[in-house]
Amino acid sequence: MKKKVNNTICRCEEISEQEIRDAIRKFNLRTVDAVKRLTRAGMGLCQGRTCTPLLTKIIAEETNKKVNELLPLSKRPPVRPIKIEFLTREE
Amino acid sequence: MNRIADVVVVGGGVIGCSVAYCLAKKGVRVIVVEKKEGLSFGASGANQGGCPLQLFESPVLELARESGKLYKNLAEEIGCDIEYENVGSLVCSVDEKQYPDMEKHFQNKQREGMNVRLMEGDQLRKLEPTLGEDIVVGVEEWDTWIVNPFKVNYGFAYAARKLGTEFLFSTQVKKIERDKERVVSVITDREKIKTNFLVNAVGAWASEIGKMLGLTIPVRARRGQIIVTEPVPLNERWRYILDADYLTTAFDLAAVEKSKDPRIKLGVAGSYIQEKSGNWTIGSSRDFAGYNNRVTMQTLKYIAKRVIKFVPRLKDISCIRTFAGLRPFCYGDGLPILSKIKNPQNFIIATGHAGEGMTLAPITGKLIAELITENRPSLSIDAFSFSRFKNVN
Repeated sequence: MKKKVNNTICRCEEISEQEIRDAIRKFNLRTVDAVKRLTRAGMGLCQGRTCTPLLTKIIAEETNKKVNELLPLSKRPPVRPIKIEFLTREE
Repeated sequence: MNRIADVVVVGGGVIGCSVAYCLAKKGVRVIVVEKKEGLSFGASGANQGGCPLQLFESPVLELARESGKLYKNLAEEIGCDIEYENVGSLVCSVDEKQYPDMEKHFQNKQREGMNVRLMEGDQLRKLEPTLGEDIVVGVEEWDTWIVNPFKVNYGFAYAARKLGTEFLFSTQVKKIERDKERVVSVITDREKIKTNFLVNAVGAWASEIGKMLGLTIPVRARRGQIIVTEPVPLNERWRYILDADYLTTAFDLAAVEKSKDPRIKLGVAGSYIQEKSGNWTIGSSRDFAGYNNRVTMQTLKYIAKRVIKFVPRLKDISCIRTFAGLRPFCYGDGLPILSKIKNPQNFIIATGHAGEGMTLAPITGKLIAELITENRPSLSIDAFSFSRFKNVN
């Protein structure tokens, strides 16, 4: 039996390498966005700033692609977490 | 390269994948064509996963109720946890003037057989201390459910693939070949697919596929913007809170048209869902900006201002992400189009769900599959027929 890999990849959401590999195989995922959406890796407070390079590497391995062939993670504001109240301010 | 399919479904959103799965279950050979490199690129990937039963009226209500029944066992059926939760909903108002409307809403829902309860602000705050002082009245109901939209979309695709459905990603439909009465094949930027049926499930982009056949499909992209917060402890009673204005901005076009309030003009009305993880998704808005799916500071400002009235403690919570998506909005009457058409007779339209795509996906897949294989769906879809747009074609 293959050994399970228990490295934590996304610390914000506590997602393990095994969960990510399982999701890629089950759902035939090919992009960082798709992996994020299905596993929550990269969905936490840091929005993937820490784990995206690791995620990308795992996806490249699983899909037999090069890292630079994969679509980059889609970026959405804000760059850093901000309080909801901040959004209500008038310019 | 040439391929052959019984049915080509264009669009890898939740509607396309549900249709593909329901057809595959009947032994139909399906090919799903998706222009992006994955699923959920339109409205399916930019919503809150809420299925707010008390907001719908006939004829959508009948579909929503059937969809609700299908959702109950869906996870087991497709072999994928979809995070289905029966959370109920609270529609409430911060405007004294809306009191009669809320009473009317309550009576309508009662008449429709829904298990609703009308409560005054103080009573609501006793049950849910996080609610704001401005709330004057609310209607709660316990049939509403939420799901994880990505898991529903990818779950349908997973189950369809297991039954032999093929998915072509990064593949765009360029041309549709037809004879006098029927679609014959679909030509993509990669290959030609011969097919017996063609399903248009591309959501907000539906009119583009229509154009290839010389048809005007009255669907436009309606943008919706949403704020995501960090996780906080779960609310005690209601994790799905809606603003009474939602009934206007989402469903009453004439009222939006007449309004002079810039917030209403941008379609901003509160829709707040707290996920099991504790994160809130804070919506909602509706505007038309072509195919632009970016957020705007102006709309986010109105959304943020509005949520602080309903759930004041959220003002000190962090927003970690914002996003926008494009929903297929039928500008004829706001209703979905679930229909064969006269000519070509093997062309099926399954779109126009606006903000209800996630709610209606399971029933839409079922009915469209029945329409194709038996020519007679188990539930009437006459109200969603394409023939209602006689004046556009």
